[in-house]
Amino acid sequence: MNLAKHDSETDMEMDMTPMIDVVFLLIIFFMIITDMTQQDLEDVDLPVAEHAQPDKPDPKEWRPVINVPHDGTMIIKKKTYFDPDVNLGPEKWNDLDKWLKFAADNMEKAPIAPGSNVNVPDEPVLIRADQVTPFKYVQYIMERCGQDGTQIWKLQLAVSTPDTNEGGE
Amino acid sequence: MAKKKGSALREIMNEKCELQMTPMIDVTFLLLIFFMCTLKFKVLEGKLGAYLPKDVGVNTSQAEPVEKVDIRLDVLQPGTKMRQTRDGLVPYTDEDIAANRRFVYSPGTRKIRYTVGTKRTTELPEVVKSLKAFIKADPEKKATIDPRTDINNLDVVLVLDAAMDAGYTDITFKGSFER
Repeated sequence: MNLAKHDSETDMEMDMTPMIDVVFLLIIFFMIITDMTQQDLEDVDLPVAEHAQPDKPDPKEWRPVINVPHDGTMIIKKKTYFDPDVNLGPEKWNDLDKWLKFAADNMEKAPIAPGSNVNVPDEPVLIRADQVTPFKYVQYIMERCGQDGTQIWKLQLAVSTPDTNEGGE
Repeated sequence: MAKKKGSALREIMNEKCELQMTPMIDVTFLLLIFFMCTLKFKVLEGKLGAYLPKDVGVNTSQAEPVEKVDIRLDVLQPGTKMRQTRDGLVPYTDEDIAANRRFVYSPGTRKIRYTVGTKRTTELPEVVKSLKAFIKADPEKKATIDPRTDINNLDVVLVLDAAMDAGYTDITFKGSFER
């Protein structure tokens, strides 16, 4: 019986091409399903509301999102702009005010009333507060939004829908 | 000499020209691991729209006062004190008190009094009923939510949701902010 002899000079090479193909496909898959707009969203337990509109943001468009976890800290894009334990004193709102002013400047404007030449921002700020967050922290944001020079008057409160909750969020 | 040169050239020509794949595969795997680790499945959230008084801080408009239904929220029973952890709410113990840790009120154990216009109730369906009666009389009716001390986000969202259920689209928050 003539068994194939192992030739020490023959290179034993694994064909890497199918593996690289699969790995590239996996990378493309993960790149597509990874939604970078979700990076703004902190892990908070949102209250459930039945009559909410589904939130489908355009990934190409910037939108202001303020996260307020249960302890009242205000987090925007992973950065804390207000912490009730740290930010004390008269300048405690400086960071948030600056950011809100920046947000207001980047929003589309509309007249405050028909025929008026005073324009105010016409886009909403999304507030993502935990269900157990004391509402006074959301009210503080509202107060800062209404400041002269910012005048953001449209708000959205993030909620989870009953369907999302059933899915074992 | 010439023979030697010729054989060296042949050797070079016979050598396989191979692309070094190892670094590329390394980088590719790193990318794959990165995407797998940062993967966060998109959870569809909802949003409830609300408004602030439009002319706050401007004082140039002479808006006519609009009569709105006032929904006031007062806490009757704040509920059980709990501590928020990564795994959810856990009972607030003496140890937490000693360490002066933050607490939250358990949503299920709270009792809120809703005042819609002049009617007081602790039941949300009653709130919807009262709000529907107002909007039936005046379809253009607007609502204002007035949350008082110790009200939390869930309490407000439930009322906002109830107002939307009753058919209100223009809901504002009252400017009496808690100090």
